[in-house]
Amino acid sequence: MSSNSDTSDPIWEDTRGTDDGRSWIDETIAPGTATDPDVESGDSATVTIDGRSVTLDAGSVLLDGLERTETEGYVPALCSYDHNERIGPRSECRTCMVETEEYGVVPSCSFPAEEGMTVHTDADEASEARDVNLDLLLSNHNLRCTTCGKNGRCELQHVSIENGVEEPRYGVFDDREEYEPMDDSSPFIQIDRNKCILCNRCVEACNDVQVAGVLRMEGSGGDTRIGFQNTEETMMESTCVSCGHCVTVCPTGALVEQGLVDSSTIPLPGFTHKNSIGKIVGGEFTEKPRNATPMIEEEYTENDPVVEVVETRSNERLAGEGDD
Amino acid sequence: MTEAGIIGADPAVRIAVGGDTRTTGEELLRSVRETSASVMVAEVGATGLRGLEPLVLATLDGETAFLPRCSVERAQSAVEALDDGSLPTGGAMAVVEHEPGIGRLPTPSDGPLAAGERTVLSACGWAMPTSVEDYRAVGAFVAPDVEAPDEATARLDEAGLRGRGRCDAATDGAIADRWATAREAEGDPAVVVNANEADPRATMDRLLLESAPLAVLDAALAAGYALDATNVLVYCNEADSLAHERASEAVAVLEDELDEPIPIEVLAGPDEYKAGETTMAIEALEGNHRLEARLRPPYPSEEGLHGRPTLVHTPRTLVQVDEVLSKGDGDHDAAADRRTRLFTVHGDDVPSTTVELSADDDLSAAREAVPFDDHLKAACVGGVFGGLTRSLDVPARANALSAAGLGTNGVIELFGDEQCMVAFAGDRAAFGETENCGRCVPCREGTKQLTEMLRDVYHGEYASEKLRELMRVMTNTSICSFGEDAPRPVRTAMNEFEPEFRAHADGRCPAGTCK
Ligand code: SF4
Ligand code: SF4
Ligand code: SF4
Ligand code: FES
Repeated sequence: MSSNSDTSDPIWEDTRGTDDGRSWIDETIAPGTATDPDVESGDSATVTIDGRSVTLDAGSVLLDGLERTETEGYVPALCSYDHNERIGPRSECRTCMVETEEYGVVPSCSFPAEEGMTVHTDADEASEARDVNLDLLLSNHNLRCTTCGKNGRCELQHVSIENGVEEPRYGVFDDREEYEPMDDSSPFIQIDRNKCILCNRCVEACNDVQVAGVLRMEGSGGDTRIGFQNTEETMMESTCVSCGHCVTVCPTGALVEQGLVDSSTIPLPGFTHKNSIGKIVGGEFTEKPRNATPMIEEEYTENDPVVEVVETRSNERLAGEGDD
Repeated sequence: MTEAGIIGADPAVRIAVGGDTRTTGEELLRSVRETSASVMVAEVGATGLRGLEPLVLATLDGETAFLPRCSVERAQSAVEALDDGSLPTGGAMAVVEHEPGIGRLPTPSDGPLAAGERTVLSACGWAMPTSVEDYRAVGAFVAPDVEAPDEATARLDEAGLRGRGRCDAATDGAIADRWATAREAEGDPAVVVNANEADPRATMDRLLLESAPLAVLDAALAAGYALDATNVLVYCNEADSLAHERASEAVAVLEDELDEPIPIEVLAGPDEYKAGETTMAIEALEGNHRLEARLRPPYPSEEGLHGRPTLVHTPRTLVQVDEVLSKGDGDHDAAADRRTRLFTVHGDDVPSTTVELSADDDLSAAREAVPFDDHLKAACVGGVFGGLTRSLDVPARANALSAAGLGTNGVIELFGDEQCMVAFAGDRAAFGETENCGRCVPCREGTKQLTEMLRDVYHGEYASEKLRELMRVMTNTSICSFGEDAPRPVRTAMNEFEPEFRAHADGRCPAGTCK
């Protein structure tokens, strides 16, 4: 069960607010994301996918079955990642929806494969959902493949072509006024949030795999973005150790190795990715303004819990118990 | 610290106020106490009828006079009258005869308090919220009697009790199933009382925590005993200060009363709509600094707070649990929940009014409690993401509400002819766009496109099919109830008022309110 089931502790002992609601960064990694339950199946299961029977090991989701068989409908499953790599499922893009006879339309990347389930990939509601959600992603994407550093090796580009996207129904993100400035501060990694699909892979790679505690998810609604746990605005001022794991897992041109930013673009004189955005931050850095590791513990983060404890006698007593 | 109750006192003066009118209530209390030392005077919980507050109830010899919007002078003269042995009936909205020492609010036969019934609301406006004596006057604590856990679950099952309110993890679903699941799941169970409803229209959870906190917590403890839970957490809204004060007083009272109380903690979460969603509530309680929904299944009843099986129930659900466990259920119709539901009625110039309807009532019964004389153009039922209907002839049951495309979060907003339905749809879509947690595409990007497409209506483009397709996908594929429910106002507005959308595309607002 959860490592956290020490039930005599008051619940708020997990909260680590210090002065001004800021904590030392080494005390906690605060990626800003939810702690999802375990969505994998408990037992091995045989499921039927588009009429074909597939047997899956314990610890599987429906998508594992889809990957093992020929499906009737194309299932992009864009945000999914190999779940043996301690990344995902984030299950946010919803381009992996399939119809099940048992539970209706479900996200295959995060739905446990249960014995006897019957899946149809080409059911109307499921394929409509995949198409619409892919178009919704593109509606907020700065779609300029020819100047993009991931051109030709981008998962979003790949699934859009496979899915037969020609004119996305909600258009693309093409409003220069609204673009977020590109972060060109780091000599290793360039960030263009206008191409980010918020799949959270980079955040998980950074926190769960590298345990570097640099990246986080921040904001809400349309302002949701990847940011830095030490609350700085640029990669250079973050506590990044330049391990590059985030770039490796990023499915789009949102994170690109500096050395490769122009490697796959189609040369058009005077037209580059940078000037397509028009706004750049961090261009002025020539060296890192501060040491990265091992000084990481000098950094602050903001992880003041959103809840406050209302004093009751019970709280006091529990807090007292926690002390001994 | 057993607090003396007011139930049974005669003569007695009760001052019924809620969080909004609390300061006025305290002023009244002080001045009335100064006026007379012999009459028992107490602050009781609100009735749910905001327009009557501060409401003073003067009781003498089995008769109670209801003095609404009572001034200090009026209250003082009322208590003087009681001192002299006469009931102050001048200016009373109602005078009700009742059995002396009655344990529940005696309801007038007409006027706003006569609408619907008062079963779970019976203590509201009558009992002192944290007085054990008052609580005991109408029945015993149910929690200590939960000896055979399966029996408690079986009784809820027999009653067919379903969760009430969007903040309940079993909303519209069978409570007994969740209890059974949580009992079977691995780990030490926890019970969360989710009272963080930030939709200002839906005030019933706050009302119950303010006015009947002992019933809410008694039921939460009963759930705890039935599950062998190790923690009970009360999650309130930071803005509802009276509610969390009363909850923490009630915790202290229960700790004295019960032999082995499960530790109860009271916490206040952000005053944000999304923070009430059941998994975001759990995220908040775990101490996260940022809130987003969790994936499901598995649901919190299997893996919730710190991975432990967790029940998340609203005060609205818990007072029904309390009723079923303490009084049993008359008709054993497990197929349908026949118990009452709370609705808060709103409208322009209509004070917020909470009414309890039986399963046989239509929503129109709630309208009788408020002064709304306009022609009813439409009502939005279910809160900010409720559905529009032209008619209130819809039974007050979860199934019937859902079948009519309406929401079940217990709010009825009344709209007159001057309300433009396109503007209404646009406002609700924009709320979805700004308030969502940002996690999933159909909701984060869907609410944005929905808002933009509604804006396009004003520029001549009404893409009805494209809108419906988008809303279908949002409802079918969003991670949490926020994105599933967000399209409801727009969908139902299009169903009921399609010509208004077409007229706007032609540059005309039939209600005459859009430029
Ligand atoms: S390169 Fe930096 S930001 Fe990326 S995963 Fe490594 S430490 Fe984290
Ligand atoms: S930067 Fe890349 S990996 Fe990170 S959330 Fe955005 S798209 Fe995903
Ligand atoms: S439906 Fe909306 S509120 Fe819920 S997880 Fe998705 S983005 Fe967040
Ligand atoms: S792949 Fe399943 S939601 Fe993105």
